[in-house]
Amino acid sequence: MLYGYGGHVLRVDLTSGQIRREKTDPDYMLQVIGGRGFNSTRLFDELKRDIDPLSPENMLLIGVGPLTGTLLATSAYITISGKSPLTGILGDSAAGGFFGPELKHAGYDQIVISGRSQKPCYLVIADENVEIRDAAELWGRDIWETTAAIRQALNDNAVQIAAIGPAGENLVKYATVACNNSRMCGRTGMGCLFGSKRLKAVAVRGTGRSTVADPPGYLELCRELDQRILDHPEYAKRKAMGSTLLMKALNGIGILPTNHFQEGLCGYVDAISGERLAQEYKVKNKSCYNCNLHCSRYYLTPEVESEGPEYETLCSYTSRIGVDDLAFALKMNAFLNRMGVDSLSSGETIGWAMECVQQGLFSSDDFDGLDFTWGNKEVVEKLLHMIVYREGIGDAFAEGTRNLARRFGKGSEQYAFHVKGLDMICGDPRGIKAFGLTYAIASRGGDHLRAEPFFELTQRFDEAEKRWGIREIADRLSDKGKAVLVEHTERQALLTDCLTMCKNVGLSMDILDFDFAARLLQTGCGLKFTPERVNEALKGVIERDRLLNIDFGIDASQDTLPKRFTHEPLKKGASKGNVVPVDQMVKEYYLIKGWDKNGVPPRKR
Amino acid sequence: MITLDLEKCSGCSRCEVHCSFFHSGKVGRSGARIKVVKIEELGIDYPVVCQQCGERYCTKCPEKAIEIGSLGQVLVSPTLCTACGTCETLCPIGAIELFEDIPLVCDLCGGNPRCVNACTLDAIHFAPDQSEVVQLKEFKKAGRGLGPEEKRLRYSLSRSQWLRDQWISERSA
Repeated sequence: MLYGYGGHVLRVDLTSGQIRREKTDPDYMLQVIGGRGFNSTRLFDELKRDIDPLSPENMLLIGVGPLTGTLLATSAYITISGKSPLTGILGDSAAGGFFGPELKHAGYDQIVISGRSQKPCYLVIADENVEIRDAAELWGRDIWETTAAIRQALNDNAVQIAAIGPAGENLVKYATVACNNSRMCGRTGMGCLFGSKRLKAVAVRGTGRSTVADPPGYLELCRELDQRILDHPEYAKRKAMGSTLLMKALNGIGILPTNHFQEGLCGYVDAISGERLAQEYKVKNKSCYNCNLHCSRYYLTPEVESEGPEYETLCSYTSRIGVDDLAFALKMNAFLNRMGVDSLSSGETIGWAMECVQQGLFSSDDFDGLDFTWGNKEVVEKLLHMIVYREGIGDAFAEGTRNLARRFGKGSEQYAFHVKGLDMICGDPRGIKAFGLTYAIASRGGDHLRAEPFFELTQRFDEAEKRWGIREIADRLSDKGKAVLVEHTERQALLTDCLTMCKNVGLSMDILDFDFAARLLQTGCGLKFTPERVNEALKGVIERDRLLNIDFGIDASQDTLPKRFTHEPLKKGASKGNVVPVDQMVKEYYLIKGWDKNGVPPRKR
Repeated sequence: MITLDLEKCSGCSRCEVHCSFFHSGKVGRSGARIKVVKIEELGIDYPVVCQQCGERYCTKCPEKAIEIGSLGQVLVSPTLCTACGTCETLCPIGAIELFEDIPLVCDLCGGNPRCVNACTLDAIHFAPDQSEVVQLKEFKKAGRGLGPEEKRLRYSLSRSQWLRDQWISERSA
């Protein structure tokens, strides 16, 4: 008897229509744990390397963690993986909500989708009964309509759905997949991958119940985790604002991206802050399955209503592009949620265009007459519509910033802020050095969640000394020891992803450590997950991810940051004068990893 | 009975999770006696649970397997119950549902309801001395022929309308 795990892997080939259920192998799971680790290992083992990401040969994997859908709080995520249409390397993205637990209760640990359907379709999973249905009626509809229509068609409001919107259908390279309407698998274009397979949605209903190996022991650990969350010093703040608390927090330390990272200090931050959102537009808290933090919010404005937004969306559609209008950002959030567009990547294309116009590289004549001056809301709204439907210049913007800048040329590539094709998140790395290193080495490109080295922001100097013997690790402006921190939190972040848990809880709130996770896995799954074994598994996954990316053409030259962050010091605010000494940190990181100076693990040499 | 502060509910379903775990050591909606209805496009989350209604529809059990406990809770006799499903059909709001041939309905965990303890938003309360009796007659006719999930959805839609109205009037204020 396999505890915790759903017990099956579901394989669906959309070309042939063949559906197959395999049993989950406990020995294999000891090496990959679940979730992201399970997904990327399967890609490593089974994916042909030199394929077009949009071809039927690409794989689309949906994984859940071993403890998802059990008593364990904050483990409601799913991870969707494949070769990224946006970056051409390892792609994956996670989202919370209710889909993951439902998939578990239906008896699955992973869905493996291959091929391409002749016609638009959607997948319906009801426990062991799985069918591919015609999606002619759904194609063209937005995510909210799609979710409602599927629930109606199946006559069951409790069905959980992961769906794409028109952006995914139209192969916008950074299209998203949404769970529960507004929980986005946002990054690396997994929605585009759905679209390329003509898969509109996956609907799942599980009537089973998850079991654990040692219920009393497990209950005790789950209570401890609940308590750690409730007792956290930031609990009240996080519950009130969720990640949007970062607007003022990051501005306070001078790293809130403003006018496309030209500054880290935003003069009108109070107008666009998480505080203002909570006070003026929020009507109630929202939550993922079985969470006691409730960090998400439902809001109404005079024009729209939606769940969210998270910090990255809020910043992307305010200060990063020079917009001081909170209600506008909330309207765009609802639009992006409905259409299924990643806020970070779409926001970066806009920031790039605005900066290029300011620098005199291009004018409105180059952009179908659209006037990209900072904060031009009308143009932003119009462009987003053009991106979703690939109309006019929107077609080029839909390819992502890296491709957009390559096409326009004239040196505009220097203003395309991405790493390995993935647009950078909203945290100026010049004031958070470990994050800078993280963006540079992250296996899916310019992203913080691969390591989320939040510890460097805590000023817990004694704790840094105790854990790693390097006090400066708790100093965000120092680069000393940051490679040590990132190597550590990269494993912690992967652990969180393997358990498909929430990174806010796991990392930002510093609640999940290896020993605790091992105890959870032992009492939950009944397998011999010792802390050492867990760490071996994590190291194995990180190495395979690197090897996979090397096969996809990644080398050390791409483990870096756009020049602005390494050469232009911030001019104002609490991080003034700083740049990121990224090359030095990357070298140290390789050394700790045992990789050679080209960033190649021993197994490959 | 169990009462609800709807405006505080985030839809996290911890009530559902802990209910299921307490009663069976396992976790899943099927094993829960309180079930959260999510109406995504309206932002409504509604935990549906036995209201100990004035009508007591479920007590018309043909096998006389259902009686009312001292706390007003519904008690199902496992020896008398034949899993005929009459109680599930009779309940107008989907608060009783059979799973593995057992009618699952809130038993107040014998007086210490786990859903109340699990809720960290103070949205669910245990009110043992509730004097106001809930009438569910209005849902009876419309619920005829529907399954428990549909009945719960209709009930939640109806009982959350006031909150929607409140939000919308606050927005225009």
